[in-house]
Amino acid sequence: MRLLTHNMLSSNIKGVTNGFPLRIEVEKVVEKSVDFNPDFLKNMFAKIEYKALVEASRIMGYAELPDHAEPSMLESDDFLRKFHHALMELHLEEGTLVCPETGRRFPVNKGVPNMLLHEDEV
Amino acid sequence: MLQILSTKQLTTRFIHTGARILNKKEMAVRQASLGGVDVDLETKTNVEKLKRGIAEFYDESSGIWEDIWGDHMHHGFYDPNSTISLSDHRAAQVRMIEEALKFASVPEDPMKKPKSIVDVGCGIGGSSQYLARKYGTECTGITLSPVQAERARALAAAQGLENKVSFEVADALNQPFPDGKFDLVWSMESGEHMPEKAKFVNELARVAAPGARIIIVTWCHRNLSSSEQSLNPDENKLLDKICDAYYLPTWCSTDDYVKLLQSLSLQDIKAADWSEYVAPFWPAVIRSALTWKGITSLILSGWKTIKGAMVMPLMMKGYKKGLIKFAIITCRKPE
Repeated sequence: MRLLTHNMLSSNIKGVTNGFPLRIEVEKVVEKSVDFNPDFLKNMFAKIEYKALVEASRIMGYAELPDHAEPSMLESDDFLRKFHHALMELHLEEGTLVCPETGRRFPVNKGVPNMLLHEDEV
Repeated sequence: MLQILSTKQLTTRFIHTGARILNKKEMAVRQASLGGVDVDLETKTNVEKLKRGIAEFYDESSGIWEDIWGDHMHHGFYDPNSTISLSDHRAAQVRMIEEALKFASVPEDPMKKPKSIVDVGCGIGGSSQYLARKYGTECTGITLSPVQAERARALAAAQGLENKVSFEVADALNQPFPDGKFDLVWSMESGEHMPEKAKFVNELARVAAPGARIIIVTWCHRNLSSSEQSLNPDENKLLDKICDAYYLPTWCSTDDYVKLLQSLSLQDIKAADWSEYVAPFWPAVIRSALTWKGITSLILSGWKTIKGAMVMPLMMKGYKKGLIKFAIITCRKPE
């Protein structure tokens, strides 16, 4: 699971008002090289929650991403590359995503998150 | 004295038994599924059983399907009365995707094209890969089957699309996404598995961004006339047998979907019956199952897959009678 995916997942357990972002517990992180695509990144920047990305990348062991970002920073190659690395190249292979309100744990195995809810959670 | 039954008799009895049990318990779900009311505990348990059945069916069957047919697990779109060879079917499956996008008027203009896509009931990711490549954007797919999700991931990686497509094990009735995330909400032949149609459509609408297109391609039963309250008993009997083998809840009609979309104030609602364009599909699947490779693969796969294969002629019968419809329903979420 890369952080672009993490940035779009939320816990929708019954009664939860804000299930985003899910807290990450790392067991195994893999860095995978991905082609750098500035246009794609610029499109994605508008769609993601930047703060959640920063926090998540820190937990995954990458501390280079600045705390705050403005759209104007997308013109800087240096920022774009850091953004690219955090968003696309850090993969959680094994670990857990935790609901910020209930503490419910969603496993991530072989890079695939299992977000199925139990009967009493819907 | 032992009664020796033929394989056909054994199979028919098994399917009948299974179908009766499903039918009794699904009645409550039909009311609830169309009306959107809360379901009771017994119904909830049956829904859980259905979801497990769906996951297990695809865990067991995906491999053999992929082996013979490839990564698209949906019908092909054919010109009526055409004759096709097996190699043309993949092109027809790709055409199905393109025709659906065209029907829904999904923009191709770089400024207006979808920038985020969800594939609801993604199988092994055939559509996800195609859509991500076509629009040059990211797509995420959800499936109840962990085997499918893992396979989808591996296939996408093999195609160099690992950065554009992702997959999660998740429930289409409770999608793990915040509201308004996706510019294109895609459900290609997964709607027929959804036990609560109102909830299913609600979730599609919820995760759609303002201005997004929602595309549902699914199996429905014929529309009821104004004097009818339900299908006739023979029709229900045929559908029940199919439901049991494919882990389908009670069917609804194309009109039912249109009404649900209307109730959510979605716009540009369009629906069509594409049954004539998919007619060559089931005969082709049956032929592929009867090849040496097909038969040996089925024997090795498991009972769920075999049962699914044996019910294929019933699908053809259903289409021929005008009972089963291959439907497309699309709409747009208001800005």
